Amino acid sequence: MLPIALSELVQIFRNRLVLVTSFIMPVAIAAFFIYRHELFASVGSLGYIAAIVMFTVGAFGLYTTTVTTLASRRQNLFLKRLRSTAIGDAGILSGLLLPVTVIALVQVVVILVVLAVVAGGPDNVVLLAAAVVSMLVMMLGLGLATAGLTNSPEHAQVTTLPVSIGTIAVASWVGIAGTEELTLVKRLLPGGSATELVVNAWNGGVAVTDSLLLLAPTLAWVIVAVTLASRMFRWEPRR
Amino acid sequence: MTSTAVIDVEHLHLSYGDFHAVRDLSFQVRQGELYALLGTNGAGKTSTLETVEGHRAATSGTVRVFGQSPRDRRAVRSRMGIMLQESGFSPDLTVKESVGLIGGLTGRTDRVDRVLHIVDLTRKAGTRVSQLSGGEKRRLDFATAVYGTPELVFLDEPTTGLDIQSRDDLWATVGRLREAGSTIVLTTHYLEEAQQHADRIGLMHQGTFHREGTVAELTRTLPAVIRFGLPTPAPALPVQATREADGRFLVETFSLQKDLHVVLRWARDNGLELRDLEAGPTRLDDVFRAIGTE
Repeated sequence: MLPIALSELVQIFRNRLVLVTSFIMPVAIAAFFIYRHELFASVGSLGYIAAIVMFTVGAFGLYTTTVTTLASRRQNLFLKRLRSTAIGDAGILSGLLLPVTVIALVQVVVILVVLAVVAGGPDNVVLLAAAVVSMLVMMLGLGLATAGLTNSPEHAQVTTLPVSIGTIAVASWVGIAGTEELTLVKRLLPGGSATELVVNAWNGGVAVTDSLLLLAPTLAWVIVAVTLASRMFRWEPRR
Repeated sequence: MTSTAVIDVEHLHLSYGDFHAVRDLSFQVRQGELYALLGTNGAGKTSTLETVEGHRAATSGTVRVFGQSPRDRRAVRSRMGIMLQESGFSPDLTVKESVGLIGGLTGRTDRVDRVLHIVDLTRKAGTRVSQLSGGEKRRLDFATAVYGTPELVFLDEPTTGLDIQSRDDLWATVGRLREAGSTIVLTTHYLEEAQQHADRIGLMHQGTFHREGTVAELTRTLPAVIRFGLPTPAPALPVQATREADGRFLVETFSLQKDLHVVLRWARDNGLELRDLEAGPTRLDDVFRAIGTE
């Protein structure tokens, strides 16, 4: 697994397009949110800013790169090549997705630390960490499922839009409007409960046990995504 | 399965929906032999090969490689090298990185520099795969297949796109692998290569074997041929012949030496020159062409 992960890291840094669109752009957007944190905090709260920058990295960094990488590696038969070796499928996928996951995690941590330094820190760091990890796992699962529907890297520009735009929209809706109204709908939408969890963790004022329950919908999305991926994921291009 | 069979396929059946790609196919490949899987386009040889490699599951029937299921990658892949029909390398990795990565993942050990030297890619070690020519990519593919001298090597159209020197080098390497005891499974559209190198041939047509055997066993079922042109008018021929579209005469015979002698003596006695005279045993091409007519 590690040799694949290392080669994937090399490829990421050699491909300027991937580097810019998937890693630099999300950071630039997050930097803007932090720079104008007083404005965005007045619209929502600091918790909202934390959620939106987290989902910006999760959607445009991790999710989109996961789909693009898997579609690209499938299209040029690199997945088939890897499967002609002795390593198992889980090892191949782990190796391919480990670098982008670690990069996304580092990005989110650095961005949230900067936000904490600039605008004030979170109320509950452990809860925030749980929200970050659950969001990353959910976006990975959705990425695997979407990759099953994506024929090429070019096709990924279309197939990733519903989830990436959708989760950002849900994060904005929940982060700004809260969950007092349409509570169930907002929590069941992908990213809704994770956003509420981040807002609670950052702003405080909600019992930890109540907040922890919000992990359930996110984990349910992980199960849905992995189930879909196991049915739809293809290792070779359609003939 | 016999004790020396590396590959054992019994009643293999492969379907894609309603389409039956392979039907009731059975064969064995023995240790140390070079077995060529040939066939017309769409005959099912790639589906068969991919099933034996473990890339595809059989619809029914059994496939055993080294006595185990080829789907069990951990059990068998370290013992087999696979040269795919298409490249499958990451364009942003260099040649050396690609061989190191794929070779290392096979579970065998080797020196990347040694393998690159074998396929004459040492000078391209630092070049990205995206900048290689088609022939260089085929050699890179071959390099990963022979990395660590595997016991079983699959070569799927290995010389397609290679120049004559590279082909000779590839076959020389295959020869050395065989000397080391490796078993080779080959598919190719270059029938002369199969005729020259294969110990046994499985000739596929419409999803199953049309014929299987050594080159001699396959070709002895068809007559040898003598072809020549004659000036007109010419006396009656001493053997039965048919006239081809180009005006030349074709003699089909199971007694090549005897009938050739008769034709040559007849030409000498009548003071005739046999233009563009050709005579030779049945080639694999002839067996191949006969598939459609039988």
